[in-house]
Amino acid sequence: MPSLLLVVLLVEVAVHLVNTIGAATINNMLWNIYLALPTEVSKQATEKNRLQKEYLAIRRDLNATSSQDQFAKWAKLRRQHDKQLEQLENMKASHDASKAKFDRAAGIIRWSATSGVKFILPWIYGKEPIFWLPSGWFPYYVEWILSFPRAPLGSISIVSWQTACGAAVLLFSDAIKAILARALGTKSAQKPPVTSVAGEKEPGPAPSSAATSKKNS
Amino acid sequence: MSAAVVSADDDVFEPTLQSILDQKTLRWIFVGGKGGVGKTTTSCSLAIQLAKVRRSVLLISTDPAHNLSDAFSQKFGKEARLVDGFTNLSAMEIDPNGSIQDLLAGQGEDADAMGGMGGMMQDLAFAIPGIDEAMSFAEVLKQVKSLSYEVIIFDTAPTGHTLRFLQFPSVLEKALAKVSQLSNQYGPLLNGFLGSQGQLPNGQNLNEMMEKLEGLRQTISEVNAQFKDENLTTFVCVCIAEFLSLYETERMIQELGGYGIDTHCIVVNQLLFPRLESNCDQCNARRKMQKKYLDQIEELYDEFNVVRMPLLTEEVRGKERLENFSDMLIHPYTPPE
Repeated sequence: MPSLLLVVLLVEVAVHLVNTIGAATINNMLWNIYLALPTEVSKQATEKNRLQKEYLAIRRDLNATSSQDQFAKWAKLRRQHDKQLEQLENMKASHDASKAKFDRAAGIIRWSATSGVKFILPWIYGKEPIFWLPSGWFPYYVEWILSFPRAPLGSISIVSWQTACGAAVLLFSDAIKAILARALGTKSAQKPPVTSVAGEKEPGPAPSSAATSKKNS
Repeated sequence: MSAAVVSADDDVFEPTLQSILDQKTLRWIFVGGKGGVGKTTTSCSLAIQLAKVRRSVLLISTDPAHNLSDAFSQKFGKEARLVDGFTNLSAMEIDPNGSIQDLLAGQGEDADAMGGMGGMMQDLAFAIPGIDEAMSFAEVLKQVKSLSYEVIIFDTAPTGHTLRFLQFPSVLEKALAKVSQLSNQYGPLLNGFLGSQGQLPNGQNLNEMMEKLEGLRQTISEVNAQFKDENLTTFVCVCIAEFLSLYETERMIQELGGYGIDTHCIVVNQLLFPRLESNCDQCNARRKMQKKYLDQIEELYDEFNVVRMPLLTEEVRGKERLENFSDMLIHPYTPPE
């Protein structure tokens, strides 16, 4: 097992990435990858696309055919059109259903791999010190806060470490964004914040002053 | 227009309604089409022809604008009545916008007096779209079932009505299934309210009512099954050689297909056959237009018996004229040169 220190950092990075990119975007990406695999669903999807193309062609024909002058042709096209439309709707429904199922599964996996881990780790390793502070450098109350809630006094608790990592990741991403914005011109710097899925919010910045103060130690 | 010159000479589908006469299993025949294309005339003619080869025939008009009385010059009512001059052809006219009020009134005289529940039942009854028509339809079917006619011809209302009318069995069946299920689920609860006899405030009995509904549902599902059986039921489309009529006919045929109701006959009515030397501009122009649509019909409905009926110079009314006209359903009309 890699060191807890690193794991916590990586989890923070992952959570932040998910929040910035957006859960929906990630799900769509995964879905597209899934469709590229040779599965039953992807076969259905290609079938649907083919049908859609056919349907559009028939629709074009139908619109180009005068119902008054060529009624027979028009009516035949119309029959095809109706049949395909019905087929297409059925397919779309089943496609949507499988996508919803996939989204749910992907969401669960993604959540447990990021936020879930983030919540679980402090539970398991709550009592373990991440690393020790040099004794006597900090006053008692700082040490008490840093070891909050359950780690031995004089050490950094996992919660403090998480908060610190979170803050650092945020700083870094802000810095990168600013640099990119400058490099790409001034536009698109002010993007609205990405809506995050419930449960993936960053923990409140309660001890953030303490965290930033000791980040470089 | 390139493919429109399909020759119909060696067509196995004759341009007559002989196939209907020959199909002895048929029990229900619907005649439908857009308004004013000659549905009533066609259904009367078909009835006359069928009467020649069947034991007994009943002709029912479900068109609110009743024309049977007009066509036969004889008054018909809600009860089946023998048509003058025939021994095995009866006719009746029913009002599909029938009298659900009668039905409800028959159950509880003072529906207003007891307020609450009776009013609710009425509201419920009116809230289901088409329930009144469906009810009267069911009534008629019950009547018809008890009478032993070999074949029953429905002269239906114009297209929209027809399709709704045919849909009713399905609609009503669904609604009643729901009601039955609800009553099964909440019956005990309701009985708790209403006392052990299940007495409704207006003197009706809940269980009795549910039984009635259940009975109705069974009748309807039976009829529904019969309508979907191509051995028992067929639909004769009547149209004229004009765009809108053709359009409606196509739509109707597709919808009938959707309901699973068999249809393989089209009667094209009111065709003009002007003489060659005729110098009536209107007639010749109209003939040309009708020819165009006839070609289209030929091409589109190659698996149908397409019957061509001429426009006569007289109104088709009365027994003799109807009989003459009906003959052309079986023996194709040959226009004078």
